[in-house]
Amino acid sequence: MTGNSIALEVRSLTKVFGRGEGVRAVSDLSFRVEPGRVTGFLGPNGSGKTTTLRCLLGLVTPTSGETLVGGRPYRELSHPLNVVGAALEASGFHPGRTARGHLSVVAASAGIPRSRVTEVLELVGLAEAGHRKVGGYSLGMRQRLSLATALLGDPAVLILDEPANGLDPEGIAWLRNFLRSLAAEGRTVLVSSHVLSEVQLTVDDVVIIRKGELVSYGSLDALSSGMTARVIVRSPDAIRFAESIGMHEAASVTTDQTGALLVSGMSAAEIGALAFAQNVMLHELRTEEHDLEAVFLELTSSEGGAA
Amino acid sequence: MNALRAEFRKVLTTKLALWLLAFSVAFTALNVLLMVYLVPTSARLVNSGQLLQIPAYVNSIVASCANASVFVLIIGIIGMTGEYRHMTITATFLASPRRSPVMIAKAIAYAAIGAVFGIINFAVSLGLATITLAGKEHAAIIPSESLQTLGGVILGFAIYAILGVAVGSLIRNQVAALIIALVFVFLIQPLLSAFVDWTTAWLPGGALDAVMNMTYRQGEATSGLLSAWAGGLLLIGYALVLGAIASITTLKRDIT
Repeated sequence: MTGNSIALEVRSLTKVFGRGEGVRAVSDLSFRVEPGRVTGFLGPNGSGKTTTLRCLLGLVTPTSGETLVGGRPYRELSHPLNVVGAALEASGFHPGRTARGHLSVVAASAGIPRSRVTEVLELVGLAEAGHRKVGGYSLGMRQRLSLATALLGDPAVLILDEPANGLDPEGIAWLRNFLRSLAAEGRTVLVSSHVLSEVQLTVDDVVIIRKGELVSYGSLDALSSGMTARVIVRSPDAIRFAESIGMHEAASVTTDQTGALLVSGMSAAEIGALAFAQNVMLHELRTEEHDLEAVFLELTSSEGGAA
Repeated sequence: MNALRAEFRKVLTTKLALWLLAFSVAFTALNVLLMVYLVPTSARLVNSGQLLQIPAYVNSIVASCANASVFVLIIGIIGMTGEYRHMTITATFLASPRRSPVMIAKAIAYAAIGAVFGIINFAVSLGLATITLAGKEHAAIIPSESLQTLGGVILGFAIYAILGVAVGSLIRNQVAALIIALVFVFLIQPLLSAFVDWTTAWLPGGALDAVMNMTYRQGEATSGLLSAWAGGLLLIGYALVLGAIASITTLKRDIT
């Protein structure tokens, strides 16, 4: 990796396609992507992720606002591929070119020596298939070739659009470890996805957008701790115990179909202590698992309000 | 310089250029054979029997490689539209986010490829004309005239390739761009020439004929062609105008 760690910045980015009213793809979007971390850029299909990434890379001109790579617009970088590696879609290949041929074209355009082509092919596990035409590649192989292209310049920043698409579970696990190791080297990694669960184990930070607008932005931990955790309580004496819990000001209780109590506003420890004090027998006492995917769906569904 | 090297590598890493070169050579050979064997026996022409005795006609046989220019136009169109068709334009502009040097590199690379096509096709038409005319009674192939044809083919084919790139960057749909270019070359241009005489000299085809010394078509002398110099300047003018429009639109375009 050449140079220091580099942050990405999106500042009040707005992009309207077409004339007049047009299509508002991104609307007043601002966020920062920090070095040494993997940031997930999440949102449903058509929420403006790709447009934002293409603005960051100087391929699309913003209607207003700006995007910066280490404080400068991408178009002003003198050796862009040595700073930012991007894998935008698995389709940017000429089917008649071999993987080696494709990489050698990109290498030539950035003055990167040909020996690096062999290196990146080995890095992504395509060393054997490098001499074959890309037209015969599977989607997973194209994803790996995209990644290889992004890595050619040994960049400090990696921007990957839906890199897990078309990868098998083994490939996804490989990608996860690979991205984690890149971030551990101090690189900035921005990964987009329309499924949170796909990147949940990979990312440190999340930027969630819906219809081109920011919905949530921060660390993954903050996203999960922001949720109201509920405690599930089962007891033969449920009805009486529900009344006792109800006496607590912060707590609220509901009963589900199975007769279990769903308590929010009290921790499992507090409820356990209360049961002990009141001599109530408990059959179950547990905190509900954080279901991040449910939060994500709620945040990004068309009815869901902005958080 | 990197952008230029990348453009050459793009052409060399697919088989398109070789196929088009093969087709263009075959087409040139066909043109020479027709002009040597078929046109002089045509019943349509009054003086067909004497054609091979006319120096300008014999020079036009050597210059008939001009017709292969359509393949150079095609390689320019496919080279440019292919970037959009396969979305390799993304990688191109990621590596060189300042777009005007990319377009200039493309123009230079394709001009060079066009020139190479021109030289090879000229060698084929000159060689084949020499071989097939031997043993026939014919006016001599004049070296100085052939030399002008060689200069013309280099300039003309280089410019046709640039025109192809320009057409391709204006009409990004590969099929549409090819159809429009071929319809222009094989339908619109001949029709205009046939019905509005004075346009012949000012169309790209007429300018190419002028610069290549190709003065006979269908066994008849073409009237009103510009001088070689004027034809060359006109071709350069076409390339500059079309190239300027193309690069202005390409520079602004969002790559989505």
